[in-house]
Amino acid sequence: MKRKGVILILIWICFILQSTVFKLQTFTNVSPNLLLMMTVSIAFMQGKKEGLLTGFVSGLLIDVFFGTILGIYSLLYMLTGFAAGSFAQIYFDEDVTIPVALVTVADFILNFLIYVVGFLLRGRTAFPTYLLQIILPEMIFTAVMTLIFYRVIYKINHALSESEKEERQSLWIRD
Amino acid sequence: MKKKRFSIKIKSRHLLAGLSILCFLMILGTLTSSAVPSPIRNVAGAIVTPFQNGVNRVGTVMNGWASGFKNVQKLSRENEELQSKIDDLTEENNRLIQSSEELKRLEELYKLDQEYPEYTKVAASVIAKDPGNWYSTFIINKGNADGLKVNMNVISGGGLVGIITETGEHWSKVRSIIDDENNISAMIATTSDTCIVSGNLASMSNGRIDFSELRDRGDVVAEGTSIVTSSISTQYLTGILIGYVAEVAEDSNHLTKYGTIIPAADFKNIREVLVIQELKQTKENS
Repeated sequence: MKRKGVILILIWICFILQSTVFKLQTFTNVSPNLLLMMTVSIAFMQGKKEGLLTGFVSGLLIDVFFGTILGIYSLLYMLTGFAAGSFAQIYFDEDVTIPVALVTVADFILNFLIYVVGFLLRGRTAFPTYLLQIILPEMIFTAVMTLIFYRVIYKINHALSESEKEERQSLWIRD
Repeated sequence: MKKKRFSIKIKSRHLLAGLSILCFLMILGTLTSSAVPSPIRNVAGAIVTPFQNGVNRVGTVMNGWASGFKNVQKLSRENEELQSKIDDLTEENNRLIQSSEELKRLEELYKLDQEYPEYTKVAASVIAKDPGNWYSTFIINKGNADGLKVNMNVISGGGLVGIITETGEHWSKVRSIIDDENNISAMIATTSDTCIVSGNLASMSNGRIDFSELRDRGDVVAEGTSIVTSSISTQYLTGILIGYVAEVAEDSNHLTKYGTIIPAADFKNIREVLVIQELKQTKENS
């Protein structure tokens, strides 16, 4: 219960930051995808189920506020979370290289899908332009953000797991 | 205890399947109506927009400080330039006042009864932008409660910015004219030749939007020609400045022209916008 609440608040903070402060910066038009970073990080640490739920909620937030068709981003982010969750088996410690790589790859796939669904199908064929102007900058920016914030998410997750473990033990003792 | 835990546990595969079906249902449900049921939006809006408003204000202030330090020198230089510009403009203004007086006299003379509409406008600030990088929609801090409605036009800095696509209690969603999915029926200000202005993400990286299907009968369109919203547009009020032609070229059919426009509104730094509280009169709503 506590875990759900904390993760919801984290998603919510990411959404607000991503749609406000990160859109103000003037040096580039592209903002990092914090929601994707959250989804992939949680999936990597906690597995498929939490990954897909985090992704679903993140996507739903974007859909409700900025989507014209409800459900597309929910589906895309949920699938991303599920896929990233399959890598949870190789998760063992504070190492950031694997999550950063995962987030980068996931960001590319997600944006490629958005390009295909939202642009290619409407006859926008200049993929190299979009790759250079949108996809690559966002990938790099998101990777940098993951490098900085993964430790924070990791610490929060660790603290949550610890408190859960304690709760479970105290329940056993009480029984 | 153990039994209870088992009953709650759902396999991730089943959860994925269930939520996917839910997503598909939502997609199907909103594909035709294109609007999310307003109760959902309103609840979500109440949870998110006040914070976006606050965070954004803090961010703007910080951004202002940062660029303030950076720009002191630039500003003093700009100040001089602007001062000289003011002098020029004052002079021009005097001249224009004279001609407008003359126009008034002539109009009276000819008993012309043409009204230049003065629209009522409401100022609003931008509180959030699309978190992704593909589309250009943003949220402003005024909504139903302030008298805003869907399809009202939004302007800023003398140029068209976009159109309201959804409204909540205290917020509205605006789709900007640079959005890749946006098309506007437009015309050349002087000749009223029509064309279609469409947002294009690829052109927008150079700060431009596209226009096409222009039948330039008088062959007058050149760099700097102003393009305004057309009188035949169903959503946009007539005669709002969109921007100035940057490039123009002829289609292979030698009948129509296409090219790019530099928008009049500054899309990189949109903070404040004006919403025109008047809807275009169409057959349906008149």
